[in-house]
Amino acid sequence: MIDNGIDIRLVNDLSEMDRLGAALDAYADAADLPARVAFNVSLAVDEFVSNAINHGYADGRRGEIAVKVAREDGRLTLVICDDGDAFDPFTAPPPDLDASIEDRRIGGLGVHLVRRFADGSAYAREGGRNVVTLHFDLQGADTPH
Amino acid sequence: MQIDRSIENAVMITTVKGRLDSSSAQRLDEVLAVIPEGSNGVLLDFAELVFISSAGLRVVLKAAKLARGASIPLAVCSLSPQVHEVFEVSGFSALIPIHQSRETALVALT
Repeated sequence: MIDNGIDIRLVNDLSEMDRLGAALDAYADAADLPARVAFNVSLAVDEFVSNAINHGYADGRRGEIAVKVAREDGRLTLVICDDGDAFDPFTAPPPDLDASIEDRRIGGLGVHLVRRFADGSAYAREGGRNVVTLHFDLQGADTPH
Repeated sequence: MQIDRSIENAVMITTVKGRLDSSSAQRLDEVLAVIPEGSNGVLLDFAELVFISSAGLRVVLKAAKLARGASIPLAVCSLSPQVHEVFEVSGFSALIPIHQSRETALVALT
């Protein structure tokens, strides 16, 4: 099978998330990704793309977010690139995982989950864009999708 | 995402199927905003939930806070391995009771 990966461009609107999710699901099926990897990629995309849409364009301007997935050397590389305000998600403070129900907050939890589930992560600001790169190992990730 | 509600032994059961993500979480939030009069427990049945992100966890936490405020127990049941791992890594498994099946959850809640 030829694995062409994913290369999809979205405008900064949450209504785009359904189209993105459908593209990821179709790719996971076609590429026969392990269920665990498919879930983790989907999670990373939902967290970072929704963050960019909700917080990256404070002045309400129209923006573009690109999502690319490619398989090489036994791992999957996910790149999320947006032209929103400069923001390195990996500098966000970690969430307090021990707080009680009353005191518990969600802020920072998405990034925490992605960091735990990805096998590598990097951030760069390049040409006015935020570029988040994540790696997911395919070897050792069991059960097919 | 599909949401179904039913009542069993005065426990308000909400069944969520499909993806609970940043685009669908708001719909569940609206459904869970009110605990019907006479409910003795709230159960979220995730047997057919294939995906959850922090947007979904936010809604679950909000529902747990609402139930806590009303002194009504809330639990979740039937998590897939991936959804269960999200509950573990986020620390939610220490906040919210997780049951293997709807049956065991109902026994615990009634």
